Amino acid sequence: MAELMHTPLFGELLHTPLFGLLLTLASYRFAQWAYAKSNSLALFHPFIVAAIPVIIVLPLVGVPYEEYRDQTALISFLLGPATVALAWPLYRQLHTVRSVWRPLLITVVIGAALASGLAVGLAWWLGAPETVVGSLAPKSITTPIAIEVARVTNGDVSLAAGAVAITGIVGALAAGPVFRLLRVKDDRIRGFALGLVAHAIGTARAFEFSEKAGAFGGLALGLTGLLTALALPWIWPWVSSLMG
Amino acid sequence: MIDGLLILLLFQFLGEVLIHLTGLPLPAPVVGMILLLFALMLGAPGMDKVSEAAGALIRHITLLIFPLGVGIVLQWHRYQDNALALAVSVVFGTLIALVLVTLLLKVLLRRSSHGSGGGDSHHG
Repeated sequence: MAELMHTPLFGELLHTPLFGLLLTLASYRFAQWAYAKSNSLALFHPFIVAAIPVIIVLPLVGVPYEEYRDQTALISFLLGPATVALAWPLYRQLHTVRSVWRPLLITVVIGAALASGLAVGLAWWLGAPETVVGSLAPKSITTPIAIEVARVTNGDVSLAAGAVAITGIVGALAAGPVFRLLRVKDDRIRGFALGLVAHAIGTARAFEFSEKAGAFGGLALGLTGLLTALALPWIWPWVSSLMG
Repeated sequence: MIDGLLILLLFQFLGEVLIHLTGLPLPAPVVGMILLLFALMLGAPGMDKVSEAAGALIRHITLLIFPLGVGIVLQWHRYQDNALALAVSVVFGTLIALVLVTLLLKVLLRRSSHGSGGGDSHHG
């Protein structure tokens, strides 16, 4: 196997986008399959499972992470259009919640500030530098927006992507116990809280409660992402100066 | 599908142009998203063609993001000094936020359903 890797043909192919794209797509396909097999267990989220083959294969064949990231630039580029695309579900769900828009809007404003503020405050209190704190600030919002915001808050793109994913998984895992403990049976609350704190992964969990919870999750995801993206770039210079 | 992609790229481009013209410190795709949302709400013709491409991109958002996410493991040496801050912030920050947001919704939605009295709502 190792000898095959070092034949001229393979040696060359390893350093083309073909290798990175093939590895990425195959890993993702495998992760989708594993997630379905596990009955959509949050711990088996495709983000975690898809990362495993990549993390094993890259060091094995000697392709540095930076090179892999360049090879898969085509895929990462699509995060831009994917962010624009969020307007569609947001538009569709605006109609379903007309009657309660006011309490929901208040919750988004307070909740988005809480989710981001707690992440920033805790990390700063434990002595993390600005790159780390800036990567955590957008951790509760959907990844494509979070990545864009992290660039503005002097964060690290990889760290932001990881923090967002783990936030989603923690939120999805904690949802059941938290809602039981707080005696919440209202699917509007379950969905909206999950979408606000745990973005798309939380929304997927909300759909397991009901269709209605899922719709509220999707709305919360869109509004929280939008609000955080609009507010953080203005607030950040001030937060940054506070951290000294 | 192609129509949808065309619309998405066009609005991202418009977002980019708007940011260059105004100097707003916002991510261009977010501005594109807001512009598209306005276009949809105003009922601009042909905009519903965005649904197929938008659905596909959103459904496979994990595919688009995990190549960046693996960097957290493969470049762990860059982050390991802050492991504790990261873990506490992500795990406890998320748990506390989930509890507080849930409690807030409980209070606000209970009040709002009192306000509407179960029958005709008076926009409150």
